[in-house]
Formats: sequence, C-alpha cells, structure tokens
Amino acid sequence: MSAPATRYSATVRSHFRSLAGAGDLPPAAGAAVSGEAVALDRLAWVRFAVRIDAGRIVDCRFRAFGCPHTLAAASLVAGRLRGAPIDALPAFDAGTLACELDAPAEKMGRLLVVEDALRHLLANAHRVQ
Amino acid sequence: MARALYLDHAATAPLDPRVADAMAACLADPELQANPASAHAAGRAAAEQVALARGQVARLVNASPEAIVFTSGATESVNLAALGAVRACGPGRRHVVTSRIEHRAGLDACRQLEREGHEVTWLAPGRDGLIRAEQVAAALREDTALVSLMHANNEIGTLTDIGAVAGLCEARGITFHTDAAQSVGKVAVDCAVPGIALLSFCAHKLGGPKGVGALYVRRRPRPQVQPLQFGGGHEGGLRSGTLALHQLAGFGLACELAGAALGEEPARIRTLRERLWQQLQAAAPLWRNGAAEPSVPGILSVGFAGIEGESLLLELDGEIAASSGAACSSATGEPSYVLRSLGRSDEAIQATLRLSLGRGTTAQDIDRAASVIVRAVARLRAALPAGALERIA
Repeated sequence: MSAPATRYSATVRSHFRSLAGAGDLPPAAGAAVSGEAVALDRLAWVRFAVRIDAGRIVDCRFRAFGCPHTLAAASLVAGRLRGAPIDALPAFDAGTLACELDAPAEKMGRLLVVEDALRHLLANAHRVQ
Repeated sequence: MARALYLDHAATAPLDPRVADAMAACLADPELQANPASAHAAGRAAAEQVALARGQVARLVNASPEAIVFTSGATESVNLAALGAVRACGPGRRHVVTSRIEHRAGLDACRQLEREGHEVTWLAPGRDGLIRAEQVAAALREDTALVSLMHANNEIGTLTDIGAVAGLCEARGITFHTDAAQSVGKVAVDCAVPGIALLSFCAHKLGGPKGVGALYVRRRPRPQVQPLQFGGGHEGGLRSGTLALHQLAGFGLACELAGAALGEEPARIRTLRERLWQQLQAAAPLWRNGAAEPSVPGILSVGFAGIEGESLLLELDGEIAASSGAACSSATGEPSYVLRSLGRSDEAIQATLRLSLGRGTTAQDIDRAASVIVRAVARLRAALPAGALERIA
C-alpha cells in the first residue's frame, strides 16, 4: 500500500525529503568524533559524526537506516548540533524528538536508537575534550 | 504532479470503465429493479440478467453456469469451500491438507477447522515458493477430507500445479479446492480439469466490482458442501441472500472482457514484468522472491538490500502505488508470513516491494516505475551507515 499522506508531520516530511546532513565529514581542522547505535530488531541504525574545533561542534553529519521518523530525527539532531558549544549542547531524548516530529507512540523504540547514538557521541566528545 | 503509477493490481484492479457503465445502467434500468427470485414478470427479467452474468462468469473458467455459486467475494468463497466441505464430511474424515502460504482467508478458515477438532497438515513451500504435488501426495491420509491450495500466490505470484494435485485427489476420492482469486482472468483456468471440485475467485481482481465473487462447485460428482449462512435457499441452498443484480452484471462483463483478453494479454504483461525486473538490476543488490516461473504474469516481489520498507514507500509516495512486504499480507503490518515461509529474514521481508501489473500497465509505465524505484533506493542507500548494506538483506 502507499504510505498514507497523513502519517507524517510536515517536519518529518521536510527532513526526510532533504536528508540534510547525511553523509560523511569532509576533511577539515579539528577532532572528528562519532557515536553509533544499532537495533536491527527495531529496524534502526544511526551514526553521528562531529568535528570539534575550539570547543565547538563545527560540523555534524549522520548516516542512518530506518523509517522516515528515524531519518528525520537524525537529520534534525545533526542540524541542531552544528555550531553548538561542546559544553552547552542541546538536550535531546526520544521524548523531545517525538514531540518535535509529532511522532506516534509506536515510533518511540526507534527514536530511542537515535537518542542512544547521540549519547554515545556525546560521551566520546567529552572524552576528547 | 502526475497521478501515481498504479502497480498494485494484485490488491485490486481498477474497475474497467465499461464495467462501471454496465453496472450504472443496471442500477438505473426500471426493468431490472425486481428481486430475481420473484416469480412475476419483473422478477423473471431480473433473473434473466442473473443468468446472463452466470453464463459469462462460467465461461471464463470453462464451467457450466449451474456450477457457479455467487458470493460476496473470494474470502467468502474460500470459507464456504473449506469450512463447508469439511463439515459436510462428518466425523470419519477429519484431516485437511493446505499450505503455509495461502491467503489469510484460507489460513484462517483452516485454523477454524483446527479449533473444531480437525487436523490440518500445513505444507511448507520450497525457497522458490512452490508447493509440489509430491508434497501433497505424501501428506494424504485415509481420513483426508479436503486438500485446499491456492492456484497463484498473491504475494509472489508462483503457480501451483493444480492439475497434478487435483489428479491425486481425484484418484483418492478427496475433495480438492483451489483459491484462484489471483489467477482467474490472468491465465487460462479450466474447471473441467479432472479432480477440481471447488474453485474460488472474485470480480475485483479482474476489473470488476468489489463485493462479489463466485465458488465453482463441480456438478458431477458434486462435492458435499454445508452452507455457512441460511435464509431463502438461494444459489442452490449454498448461499442464501438476495442477489445484487448490478454487482453480478459488472462481474459478468468483467469476466467476458478478461476472457477476450486472455489470448495476448498474459504474454504482454509477462514481458513487461521481466522488463521491470531487468531495469531494477540497476538497484542491485536486490533479490526476487519466489520462482520466476511458473507464475502468473503480473506479480513481481522484489527485495532491496539495505532498505527500510516504510522509508521506501514514503519515497515512492505519490509516484508509485505498490505494496510492501510488511503490509501486503494483512492489515496488521506484521512481516509477511509468505516471505517468512520462503526463509527470508524479517529485515529482508520488510525491504520487499510487491509490484503487480495489470491490463492498463504500459511499457512507458514500467520504464518510469523502474527509474523512480532505482532513484529512491539509491537516495536511501546514500544515507546508510557503513556495513548496513551487507547486514540488511
């Protein structure tokens, strides 16, 4: 069946269509750090990569396998991290992502994978700092 | 944006405009407003319309009109055949043979028979999706009441050799039923093949209206079938209820049109399907579910490594209407039990697209569909984490 038009919020559709920030970090100055979470039983796999320079995230990219909400969440997080100071990063958990994306409850398991990838990234980033 | 390309004919085929016109005319005709069961002149006029439709439907499957029982669709036909035939057998014959890849109508009817105390042998297909006559032969017992196997599988399109199975059943005096909802009007279906006692099909898979179908019930020897509903004794007592004349007019014409197209249409559709499969090679790694042959011409079930099915459907939304491996087996969104029976992993199942072609499908449609799908798969794969392409297949 076709994906019903009403199932996805405008935010999800916008991020899904553009997948802004998908791909790998281009070579640049600063330290590259990544964080990843995989849960194939939930059909979600997310990897964030950031470049940190002078205490700030100067670039952020993601790679992801998953449903439109998973891809949109990864894209949204990548966009928010870019430019953020490492000591004052925006807080994201699955609940806030669900609110921002207007995601249905059954997507929480997948959004938790995005949250886990972000936690892994931040732990690695603080270790580098 | 152009209208979405319809490649979901196995779910339902668009109503043929000629059929729609005939149905509208029937509904509006003041001479066709009576109950076909009424004895007065107006009733007889309506009954003549029923007889016309019954003849048209019967001709498509090479049956006599008297062998056609009208129902509300293939689901009812399958239930009537399976439940009705086994319940009529009595306590001496309590065994049923069917397969794990039947349509939900067949599966659920057989599960109901299990709940009623019958024993069901569930045949598993090979990795090619085929159920073989030898498997059926090995499963038959002295107390087998019914063998019920679908002719064409609705998800992967593979064809069962019903002639061979029917022959086995004939030799043992066992009732054989086949669910032919996906094959009637797509390939030649012949109820005169020895051993076919019951055959289910419906109108909406072949350009007719939804809500009407038929069960072929062989005349001689006539299998015992217990009705599921009771009332006025319509349809030889097997299916009580006032007949919906406009539905039957549509069903009849749809069968006539499908029969007229059977000469060249199957080969044309098959060629288009293989053209699609060849063009989709640009989206490798990919795989085909079920054997390419024997099959009905219009169904292609294809899986794409590294693809999440919901994202693929959204990517195609507005451009192609098709079914996913997760959803086409039921309304629940559960992974397809048919693909699981073929040994596919859950990851591979959800990465599956069922593309089904029909009478309106053109070569240009196929080229456009292939181009859209290849582009969509490439875009989603471009975002994959390293290693995902290999693991998700």
